[in-house]
Amino acid sequence: MAPTRKNRIELLQGTLDMLILEQLRWTPSHGYGIGQAIRAHSGDLLRVDAGSLYPALHRLERQGLVKAQWEISDRKQRTRVYRLTPGGRKHLAGERSRWEQLQAAIGGVLNRARTDEA
Amino acid sequence: MRPPLWRRRQDEELDEELQSHLRLAIADRIERGESPEAAASSARREFGNELLVKDTVRDMWGWTPIEQFGHDLGHARRALWKAPAFTLAATLTLGLGIGVNAAMFSIVRAVVLRPLPFPAPDRLVQIDEVDQRGGGDRRGAVSWPNFRDWQQRAASFESLAAHHVSNFTITGIGPAQHVPGAVVSASLFETLGVNPAIGRGFAPGEERVGSDVAVVSDAFWRDQLGARADAVGAALTIDGRRFTIVGVMPAGFVFPIASPAPLVWVTSAQDARVESAGDTPITEERGAHYIQVVGRLRQGRSITEAQAEMASVAAVLASDYPDDNLNRSAAVLPQLEVVVGEARRPLLFLLAAVACVLLIACVNLANLMTARGIARQPELALRVALGGSRLRMIRLLMAEAAALAVLAATVGLALAWSSKRLLVQLAPADVRGLDQVTIDGSVLAYTAAAAAVCALVVGVIPAFRATRGDLRSNLGTSRTAAGTRSQSRWLSGLIVVETAAGVVLLVAATLVIGGLDRLSHTNPGFDVSQVTTLRVSLPDSRYPFREQIAFYDRLLPDLARLPGVSGAALVGPLPLSGSRFGISFDLPGDRAVETAKRPSAGFAFVSPGYFRAMRIPLIQGREFSASDNDGGPRVVVVNESFARRFFPNADPIGQRIKPGLSTTEPETPWREIVGVAADVKQVSLREEPAPMYFVPYAQGMITTPHLVIRSGGAVETVPESARRVIAAADPELAVYDVRTLEARLADTFATQRFATWLLTLFAGLGLLLTAIGVYGVLAYSVSQRVHEFGVRAALGASSGQIASAAMTTAARMVVAGLIAGIVIATALGQVMQGALEFVDRPGLETFVTVAAILLVVAGVSTLAPIRRAVRTDPMQTLRSN
Repeated sequence: MAPTRKNRIELLQGTLDMLILEQLRWTPSHGYGIGQAIRAHSGDLLRVDAGSLYPALHRLERQGLVKAQWEISDRKQRTRVYRLTPGGRKHLAGERSRWEQLQAAIGGVLNRARTDEA
Repeated sequence: MRPPLWRRRQDEELDEELQSHLRLAIADRIERGESPEAAASSARREFGNELLVKDTVRDMWGWTPIEQFGHDLGHARRALWKAPAFTLAATLTLGLGIGVNAAMFSIVRAVVLRPLPFPAPDRLVQIDEVDQRGGGDRRGAVSWPNFRDWQQRAASFESLAAHHVSNFTITGIGPAQHVPGAVVSASLFETLGVNPAIGRGFAPGEERVGSDVAVVSDAFWRDQLGARADAVGAALTIDGRRFTIVGVMPAGFVFPIASPAPLVWVTSAQDARVESAGDTPITEERGAHYIQVVGRLRQGRSITEAQAEMASVAAVLASDYPDDNLNRSAAVLPQLEVVVGEARRPLLFLLAAVACVLLIACVNLANLMTARGIARQPELALRVALGGSRLRMIRLLMAEAAALAVLAATVGLALAWSSKRLLVQLAPADVRGLDQVTIDGSVLAYTAAAAAVCALVVGVIPAFRATRGDLRSNLGTSRTAAGTRSQSRWLSGLIVVETAAGVVLLVAATLVIGGLDRLSHTNPGFDVSQVTTLRVSLPDSRYPFREQIAFYDRLLPDLARLPGVSGAALVGPLPLSGSRFGISFDLPGDRAVETAKRPSAGFAFVSPGYFRAMRIPLIQGREFSASDNDGGPRVVVVNESFARRFFPNADPIGQRIKPGLSTTEPETPWREIVGVAADVKQVSLREEPAPMYFVPYAQGMITTPHLVIRSGGAVETVPESARRVIAAADPELAVYDVRTLEARLADTFATQRFATWLLTLFAGLGLLLTAIGVYGVLAYSVSQRVHEFGVRAALGASSGQIASAAMTTAARMVVAGLIAGIVIATALGQVMQGALEFVDRPGLETFVTVAAILLVVAGVSTLAPIRRAVRTDPMQTLRSN
């Protein structure tokens, strides 16, 4: 029952939310689709299990960043499809810029270290 | 508890969403070429535990505390549903424990705790006279003159009233009948705060002789007067005298609280009547102590203050009337305490005993919960890994305990409800309130409280233990962190506790069984088999003293001539009927002894043939004969104790004593001892032999006697034929109090029998639960050590060695519990003797018996686990790991 830990990166708190919002920026999707998309775009490195995905989706819905609707999928199935709200779009933009700042900061620190080593 | 509707819909939607996720995942995998079966199972595996996912999502929704609790309970319900064996065992164990407690509490509530059914019952007290002669304080009845002086002098009370039960013969409504009633002061109903439903109570002036007014009960009014609207003002013939009914009491009114309940009340005028002008009525005899006094305290007065005042009032009366009141004081007691009386301590003791049963049940459940908590550590680890806090885990486990407690309380209440009738039937009949045992609000509250405490005890510690340490380190392991030293110490500790509680119960049961056995084998001093006893009411108005003697003189030979009857006699008071008379007397010698220091002894008046009919052996001299009548010399028969105490070095026959007793004599006569009879038990089988003397009834009949009729064959037909003989003598006479002597004997230890049955039942339950607990813990420990046993067996250990290794644990726990239990039981010995006076202190013999029973039962409960340990297949064990 325990999931394999190989090839998995633990997502920082809040990072998963950002990845979900990012997926929904392109197209509305159901939970399974979002999970598959994250996995595909991360080169199979990031696997979001259902126990993290659905709580996150429901949290975002509660915060008004996404909204959900029952729709019939192309496979003729009733699925719960999430789409980004304007609030969600704004939130994602903020998160993205924070993430880029953080990434730059961390990159700077790591590069400096590399330079010092050399 | 079900969640609200909108929450349920949300739940359903979540369920559907997750199902669609699974379907999509499966479809994807099939597309990629997996077989449908493989796709389904791998998708499900990747998805993980669905219930957990739902739980975490639900957590996201946010909850109010109440929803949270309901949610936890719902979770607990699902978890319990998935473990039916555990749930059933836990519910039954705890339900049994809670059930006996609810049942016992409903009895204690009805008998001991329920307030008296009068307004402001807390302010009702009983005031007794206290006889301080010879050191100790003996509480006893009051005399009318003392009562009237208290009424005038004591300021602590709003009102005081006097009463004593009496029996009346009612004629004129159908055949003559004997009804229970009471003689009361006019102030009784006002003191109790209860007004008649129809008509009025007594007026003060109606205590005067000649008033002849009566108040009747609701039951009497309905059954005997046909609920007549004009009953008030109607005539009622009581003891051959015409009374006027002035009031009907409301339904349910009972006072004095006696069994049978009084149906008719008359004023003290009844007692103030004299046979011939110039006699002193008993209401003026300061030394005639036979009435009870009830008082209503003034608002704000405490019992202590009232007690202090009554002591000083009594001191004044003692100095004013030293002849009668020297060394007499007064005692104030809550009326409820008096009414509950002797039932209180045995019942509270039994309640403590069932608490012990509940403790054992709780311990068993804690065992089960602990084992279950350990088994669930992987699941808990996963929950923690998914972000559940430890607090949340503890809450979930607590919710399970709470759900179990709710289930168990339901089972327990059902049990209490169905056993109620049985318990009441086993109980002694004359205890107040037993007819009103019911599962009311306070019983429900008590049950709920007991269940809540159980849930805490059973839930908290196992929950903390199960979630202790780093649960995440258990992730992915199927082996559990059980079998640790601390774990096994905790489980053994539980077994020691429950064994100790079981031992205490067993000791109590052994002692009461021994005590009851001794009681029921006690020889009362006479032969109780095939003896019928009954009384006949002879109204004073038609039967003055000499007429009563003449009546019985004629009746006794008629009864003795009945077919199958081998002897008929009369006696007052009858042994084992609950009364004892004591009359002081003078011994020969010229020393003048003060009244207060004269010796006293038990007294009874009997007819010729009494000792023969009762089969009481005569040690010396003779029985009374027909010639010991009013015209004959004054004679007396004494018992052995009397002869030994007062004539230790002389032949008692021919000695003379002067009891303070006279009937037709001009002055108190000396009486010659003509016989010595063997000692008999007068009131209880536990009493020590006491000096007693007997006078011929023709020379000393002072109260309504009992007839005793010994038959050779069946006793069943005796009452009917006796009734016919009595009706032939006088059709107006009522026959009452018809019982066999055997039944009276059994009644004297009804309370003890009740306590014994219940304690034995409780001890049996406790023992059974303890055995289950020992079995459970040992089975668990063996299952944890199967690997170890396998290795040992592989290394050549014999079955015996393995059995003893498995056994040692159990033996240590049980012996530790046994020792702890014996220590506790020894310490409680005195408490127990105080509550159940008929038992011995626990001794070596008791402990040996208890130890033997416990060890055998514990031994049996270890058989199955040990068999399993011994049968461990070493190869299989080694291969599996």
